[in-house]
Amino acid sequence: MLKLDNVKLKYGYVTALKGISLEVEEGSITCLLGANGAGKSTTLRAVSGLNEIFEGTITFKDEEIQNRAPDDIVKRGIIHCPEGRKLFPDLSVYENLLAGAYVIKDKELIKEKLEEAYSLFPILSERKRQLAGTLSGGEQQMLAVGRSLMADPDLLMLDEPSLGLAPIIFEQIFDTLLELKKKGKTIFLVEQNANAALHISDYAYIIEVGSITLEGNAKELLTNEKVKEKYLGG
Amino acid sequence: MQELILGLRDGSLFALVALGLVIIHRTTGVLNFAYGHMGMFAVYITFTCFAILNMPLLIAVSIGLLFAVALGLVTERFLLRPIRHLSHSAMLIITLGMLMTLEGMALWIWGQNVQQLPSLITGKPLMINLGETFLVIPQQDLLIFILTGVIVFGTFFYLKYTKVGLAVRASSQNEEAAKLMGIPVGGVYGFAWGFGVALSALAAILAAPKTYVEPNMMLNLQIQGLTAAVLGGFDSLPGAIVGGLLLGVIEQYVGAFISAELKLAFALIIIIVLLLIKPSGLLGKSSQRRV
Repeated sequence: MLKLDNVKLKYGYVTALKGISLEVEEGSITCLLGANGAGKSTTLRAVSGLNEIFEGTITFKDEEIQNRAPDDIVKRGIIHCPEGRKLFPDLSVYENLLAGAYVIKDKELIKEKLEEAYSLFPILSERKRQLAGTLSGGEQQMLAVGRSLMADPDLLMLDEPSLGLAPIIFEQIFDTLLELKKKGKTIFLVEQNANAALHISDYAYIIEVGSITLEGNAKELLTNEKVKEKYLGG
Repeated sequence: MQELILGLRDGSLFALVALGLVIIHRTTGVLNFAYGHMGMFAVYITFTCFAILNMPLLIAVSIGLLFAVALGLVTERFLLRPIRHLSHSAMLIITLGMLMTLEGMALWIWGQNVQQLPSLITGKPLMINLGETFLVIPQQDLLIFILTGVIVFGTFFYLKYTKVGLAVRASSQNEEAAKLMGIPVGGVYGFAWGFGVALSALAAILAAPKTYVEPNMMLNLQIQGLTAAVLGGFDSLPGAIVGGLLLGVIEQYVGAFISAELKLAFALIIIIVLLLIKPSGLLGKSSQRRV
């Protein structure tokens, strides 16, 4: 569904992606693992159009989409849920969700999506009039995921949804991802928490200083010695 | 009592000026130094249509306002958006450059002579009997007061309850997240600039019968609008209104009890004192910082 071929990206003079090639299959959960600064977020930013790439191609549903404007990427069915949630702090929970549905014109569909988000995360329904900035960390992450789903994306890209969350909360988020997969969504997950991510993923890539160094079936990577040593804490 | 009424009269114009400054600043993060001069240029367009091309006044005013919208859109699209990624001060310098360019161009095209533009409405002024004195309020002043009220409430509800309004508020709170939701942030910024500059033009057209039409006609109003905006917290729409009215009343009392010469100086003193004591303004939130 999504395919990156030899994608290269620079921040000023620093090459952040040195030729990334990877593929996310329809209906799968694919994860991209790596340390801080390895280029995980940058990969997502390249796909969603926030940063320009200077070489390579990004293909989505058999069309080249590299270096298009972010709103065009969203309309094609890709949503990027950014690292650190990036909510609109002074909008209410309800308004945040509504902003997520910006590209949807059909009012009925927006209502439907709203109900879906509330049933996925009932706490959001209880807090719908509250300002997003006043939510707890876990609630904010739920809102971020809920907001990403409002545009009814075919491909959902999540950047470190587990960051800063208590284990019980991020397990809840990860369970939601499995539920979404069952509903037919494709998920591209970027994580530092390799253990948790590999457990819910089908396929995984490992990125080190801007290059993919290892890939494979997620269950196999869980038992891979190199992965164990470097990313799973021995 | 007299000072209060006259203060509210002046203040509603300050509020109108402040509103446009605040809308541009809170949406795009740019303080528009050329704001007043953009309005001045639009007044010259109106003046040309009315006095030289002999168009009806309302048509001339409409053309002036449309010109202002276009000026705002073009400035945002071609002068500011290309350098948005550079730095905030780069954009400030651009607006400063616009200020000088517009002033120079106005002098070059229309010359040094002070021109006139009539009031939009004339007629029997409102007389207020205050016992010892009579207050005479021309209809144009009432129009300013009412227009400001309508525009303020209209803007408030538009931002609060429409899809475009939601996009404006979302973009101003987190530009990147708004982009990731599919909101065309560039278009939103264009909207803020077009609308904001149109407000400056409207204020300038309404003020023109008193200030006359000349290249520096908006200089005082720009400072007073800025003071009103700072008073209100700079990113708050209700703050701009309260700040404007308050400044109008303060100036009247300063004029009445200290010296009329100090009126404008007082506006600047207020900015300094407020920035030292309560930088977030009367209705602003200190927590809000653009990233």
